[in-house]
Amino acid sequence: MSKTDAFAEAGKTAVLQNIHGTMEFLRKYPPFNQMESAHLAFLVEHCQLRFYAAGDAIIKPDDGPVEHFYIVKQGRVCGERPHSARRGTETTFEIAAGECFPMAALIGERATRTEHRAAEDTFCLLLDKTAFVRLFAISGPLRDFALRGVSSLLDQVNQQVQLRAVESLGAQYSLNTRLDALALQRPVHCARELPVNQAVKTMHEQHVGSIVIVDDALHPLGIFTLRDLRRAIADGECDLTQPIANLMTENPFHLPPDATAFDAAMAMTERHIAHVCVVEKGQLRGVLSERDLFSLQRVDLVHLARTIRNAGRISTLAALRSEIRQLVDNMLAHGASSTQITHIITLLNDHTVCRVIELAIEALGDPGVPFTWLCFGSEGRREQTLLTDQDNGIMFEANDAAEAAMIRGRLLPLAQRINQDLAACGFTLCKGGIMAGNPELCLSRQEWTRRFRGFVRESTPEHLLGCTIYFDLRAVWGPADGCEKLRLALIAEIQENSLFQRSMVENALRQRPPVGRFRDFVVARKGAVKDTLDLKVQGLTPFVDGARLLALAHGIETCNTLERLRQLVASRIIEEKDGAAYEEAYQFIQQMRMQQHQHQARLGQPMTNRLDPDTLNHLDRRILRESFRQAQRLQASLTLRYQL
Amino acid sequence: MNWPWLKTRGTPLTPRQLERRGQLPGAPALEDRPLAEERLVVLDLETSGLNMRRDVVLSIGAVVIERGAIDFAQQFERTLNRPGQKVGPSVLIHGIAPSELETGSEPAEALLDFMAFVGDSPLLAFHAEFDRRMLRRALRHSLDYRLRHPFLDVAQLAPMLCPDVRPGKGTLDDWARHFRLQVSQRHHASADAMVTAEIALILFSRARRQGADSLTSLARRLETWRRRERGGLI
Repeated sequence: MSKTDAFAEAGKTAVLQNIHGTMEFLRKYPPFNQMESAHLAFLVEHCQLRFYAAGDAIIKPDDGPVEHFYIVKQGRVCGERPHSARRGTETTFEIAAGECFPMAALIGERATRTEHRAAEDTFCLLLDKTAFVRLFAISGPLRDFALRGVSSLLDQVNQQVQLRAVESLGAQYSLNTRLDALALQRPVHCARELPVNQAVKTMHEQHVGSIVIVDDALHPLGIFTLRDLRRAIADGECDLTQPIANLMTENPFHLPPDATAFDAAMAMTERHIAHVCVVEKGQLRGVLSERDLFSLQRVDLVHLARTIRNAGRISTLAALRSEIRQLVDNMLAHGASSTQITHIITLLNDHTVCRVIELAIEALGDPGVPFTWLCFGSEGRREQTLLTDQDNGIMFEANDAAEAAMIRGRLLPLAQRINQDLAACGFTLCKGGIMAGNPELCLSRQEWTRRFRGFVRESTPEHLLGCTIYFDLRAVWGPADGCEKLRLALIAEIQENSLFQRSMVENALRQRPPVGRFRDFVVARKGAVKDTLDLKVQGLTPFVDGARLLALAHGIETCNTLERLRQLVASRIIEEKDGAAYEEAYQFIQQMRMQQHQHQARLGQPMTNRLDPDTLNHLDRRILRESFRQAQRLQASLTLRYQL
Repeated sequence: MNWPWLKTRGTPLTPRQLERRGQLPGAPALEDRPLAEERLVVLDLETSGLNMRRDVVLSIGAVVIERGAIDFAQQFERTLNRPGQKVGPSVLIHGIAPSELETGSEPAEALLDFMAFVGDSPLLAFHAEFDRRMLRRALRHSLDYRLRHPFLDVAQLAPMLCPDVRPGKGTLDDWARHFRLQVSQRHHASADAMVTAEIALILFSRARRQGADSLTSLARRLETWRRRERGGLI
């Protein structure tokens, strides 16, 4: 230091040196970097600094309600709870310098649920609760951070996502709104004896498109909509004085008041209906129309689905793809979760596939044999994103090999046409040839069963790879019962074969989550993908593989990863807390992946799953790291369970 | 003893200052209670040089360890008014400009404030003997007050409680680096006091594990340790 520098430095510090130094330290981290200086100074002046040697407990569940807000100044703190499967404890999270805890317990005025331990020699700043409460009242950034922290870190990200996605929408609505919070209009209803013309008059006067027919106790018996009226008149049912009960749709579809707008939208899309009754304890509470939903969401999901189902040409279907992209954009903006979005994409893709099949049959003529269109992989799991290729096959019933070959000959031209048409609609042809037009994937149920049995009995690397695709299967078009029989046979086969289960575990463990031992990301070292990691293969696949394996081994039939995790929790195969953590982590990675796709699509770039973690902000990085750690935990639990 | 040159240097105290001096609590004795129940003052002095007879205290920084933690609400930081200090080489170390010294507090006031801050707490410092003697001389000179507070030397506690390591020459910097501590501004009395206190917290944690969880037992062990060290040297 030169003399002048030394003089320049001296005398600058009006604030006490140590307060100033600690403030400078905190300013490197959120939320402190957003706090006003005076508030930050208040925080530091009311702190104490405490040392914890490696292994020391900092706070424990039986300490009672948390009395301090902790900030790690130096070192590392880990959260520990009793291990689910063996004695001892396992680390559930890590808190590094500049990070704080235990927000949820502090705000909730309760004890912590996880023991916080010093993972190495650690200094923490402790702010007592009284000072924290005062600061909480005056500092907006701290309050935001704390409240968001309570409902998990992921909500913070969701907030960011919603802000980032098309801001002009500015809507406050969410697909998660409960139906009873939608201020449903008083339902228009009538008795079953009311003449049709009277009922229509009532509908006209009340400006509604539907009327619910109820008994004296308000139990819904049926629904009558303007569409029913159109159909009645078209069919020549012109007697408008007959009782409405003759023309109503019986047992109308209904949802409970605690279902969400999303549930309603999905039901309408799936069932091709425009009205959903809201029923509580058997009694009619309200009616939700497609129009209500549209004005609520500005997301015209139901309309889009209908347009797809009525498209007359492949080119129309292809054009609708861009609307699906826009829909996803809007849904991200409305705060839909990655699960909801993948679900919707899958649903719309299903509609597209069905329509393509119907159009192909119209064009080439009915092959004259019933067949089922199967899909595999992410489509089978209902986890499709916009970046998707075809994984499909055909199943039919045949008595013997000769008949199977004959039917195959008839179906293959149709299947190949469908594959080409799907490609024209934006479903990339599968590079591995997993497509119905391939004779090896156009099989009778017996042939499929034999093929799957081969996978289970002889675990070659090729077969194991096949399992990760084919075993997530679902019928999209045609009779579904054959597919269910196939699945049951498969599950029975796997449950008996522990050797196969073990080789599936080994296979599932080959893809390691990209976090290193020193708490940072492991990225590719060279090539075009240098400095990036693969969100799908490295991030999602461990969850997908782990959930599939456990589900198949325990007779769980569903294919969706999150659904599998939930059922595994319900069957007590994995612990509830673990299941919730896996689910959160999986959703976060998926969400990050979809945001990237949308972003790339908007810029006209090719969509990829590769991400440079250095492009993320501090918060996203931290959550992504935690999410990968959950994948590590899932893999560790598999290793333990199968004693590998 | 009658050293006129000492008396003539000090400015006479005002009645208020005399009253305050009279209210200062007496020196404490080391107690046998757990360290977590102690209030300890960790101090660091910046001086005009290293000569304990000639050089003077320029600034005082101190933090408090109470109930086992450093309490940010209790901090002492004062530059003393020392007019006419030459810009010597030590200015480059402590970094206190002559102009700053001229705007500093009147020494008697600063020292009264400091001793009120200390109260009857034992003192901790790195190379405590130097700070003890410098402070004692300043108190005697400015306040005619006799410092009797016990001092514990962190520079001795550290090697005694961590016998396996000998970081560098055992300076404050060496130990701070060994424990990977951040010093916000080295050679600033407050920042040095803070890092000394942080080292002390680590050492107390070690001491507890070694069964020496009170100032008396630490002092006892230090005495043995010093004897052995001296013996080792001879």
